[in-house]
Amino acid sequence: MTQGKIRAQLLKGTTTLLVLTVLREGELYGYEIAQRIRERSGGAFVPSEGALYPALHALESAGALQASWRDGDRGPRRRYYKITSSGLGLLEQHAQEWAAFSQGMGLAVEGAKR
Amino acid sequence: MTVNLITLVAFVGGFLGLIALAVALVRRGELHLGPGQRPDDRIVQQPDDAESVDTYLDRMAVEMRLPAGDTADIRAELLDHLADSIAALESEGFDHQAAVREALGRLGPPVELGRQLRAAHQTTGRLFAGAGGGVLAAGGGFFLGYIGAAAAGFVVILVIALAGSLLSRLGVPVPNLSTDPNGSAIGNGLYLAFVLAGAAAVSMRFAVRVSAGLGRRSPRGAAVFWAVAGIVVFGTWVIFGIRGQQSWVGAAVAPAVPVAAALGALYRIDRPMPHVGRWALVVAVAAIVILELGIGLVSSVAITSSGATVEPVAVSQPDFHFDHAAPIAPAEWLPAGATLADDYVESPDGAGQASSYFLAVHPDKASPDPIPLTQILASWHDLRFEAWHAYPNWAPDSPIGVDTSYPSPFVIEPAIIQGDRLDADFHFQRLRDGRDWWFVVTGVGPDGHRYRFSNGHKGWTPFNGSVWDWITAPQ
Repeated sequence: MTQGKIRAQLLKGTTTLLVLTVLREGELYGYEIAQRIRERSGGAFVPSEGALYPALHALESAGALQASWRDGDRGPRRRYYKITSSGLGLLEQHAQEWAAFSQGMGLAVEGAKR
Repeated sequence: MTVNLITLVAFVGGFLGLIALAVALVRRGELHLGPGQRPDDRIVQQPDDAESVDTYLDRMAVEMRLPAGDTADIRAELLDHLADSIAALESEGFDHQAAVREALGRLGPPVELGRQLRAAHQTTGRLFAGAGGGVLAAGGGFFLGYIGAAAAGFVVILVIALAGSLLSRLGVPVPNLSTDPNGSAIGNGLYLAFVLAGAAAVSMRFAVRVSAGLGRRSPRGAAVFWAVAGIVVFGTWVIFGIRGQQSWVGAAVAPAVPVAAALGALYRIDRPMPHVGRWALVVAVAAIVILELGIGLVSSVAITSSGATVEPVAVSQPDFHFDHAAPIAPAEWLPAGATLADDYVESPDGAGQASSYFLAVHPDKASPDPIPLTQILASWHDLRFEAWHAYPNWAPDSPIGVDTSYPSPFVIEPAIIQGDRLDADFHFQRLRDGRDWWFVVTGVGPDGHRYRFSNGHKGWTPFNGSVWDWITAPQ
């Protein structure tokens, strides 16, 4: 299995957490969100663009995000996403779950090495 | 007369003008959605290689099966994304064709993307919201459609009435469109079917648009659902639910209502719903008020223009043709002083109840006790009530009495002795041909022949039931 495929599998289920995390800093449109995730992870995480938009729309349907069409700074109208108070609560929940998961995964992997 | 006609034309013309204005306002509201408010009108920067991008997005859109507005929104968003992605790739050294291929590849297979986006939009909550909203919209649409169709129906009636009046003045025979030869109401059934068809069509159209929009369902899928629901609900209602006077014409046009509901659901489902502003509603209400005034005016015109006064029809001593039913019972076969009175009672459920009873017979004035009915009729048997067709009493030139064109009664009920009375129950309201009737009480006398005891009782009971009752009525 290639490194990209392993990362893609590990990223499954984390898209929501990554999207909500970058949107906590401000309103962004889809392409910007993907870029921001890439930058924030130092290039380690490159979210699948095909998974990004379904995740954004699902979060919008769930009320975690609010979307609106606005003129871009330099260019065409874009669909901006903004995190809602419900989305902040969801982010908190996902972050705690991820912390517990990664801690447990770390302990398990370290234990296996010993 | 001339002034009245001019006023009438002004009222009708004013009504039509206001309706046209209301429609124009609705159209104007629809057009004013304009660029920037409807997603498909938004100007989106297209990547240079539009053909392959369009093909990708088309395949994705087919799989999404979302309403047009949502699909246009998502297409626009992904076009933005692809434009950014292609530009970034080109700046990294990709040639244009390779950049387009890479950008599309990063989005993954279009079918899979469309499927995931559909799942993101078509949530269970939205399904219920769409269903609930559809039901509410169907109710509101039915109300609006009913008002509109009723107003349109009035206009049609006005036009027909005016045309009929003109034709009759010119000596052209005009068929009676309000009642059939049996006196059954045609006009009511036709008008009701027309109004309900309009209301059903508008109702289903509103339901489809709201249901698809709120539920994020494919308009075609929502339309098929509401078309089937409309056929079942409106079909059941008009065939089995609505009770009243019926006619074959009315029964024949009743299926138009569920058909109109289905057509309303399926007609041009991809078209955006028109925006109805408050001025359009105000103008529509004003039009209906004007129309109501016009209707009142038509009545007065009809009276003043004819100049006719109601004259009583001179009727010579009528022959009621009672002997057509049976000859009167010889007096010597009944106790002296016995008289028979007839009565007809309309029971609460609309079924007719006929009673015929002998008044108390006191052969000896000194005796306080009347002769029991069983004793009076001791030499008679096979006592029964017979309901005969009668000539209609609504036609001024019609003969009066038992209709001699019918060789036998259309309903026969055995007479039951209840104390000093003979009773029978009739259900004229479920008989297609039982509108005008005349019942008599008959019995077989000592000589073996049937005689009538009195001249009976006349009545008028229009059919009262559903279309299904009309079709399946015994006759």
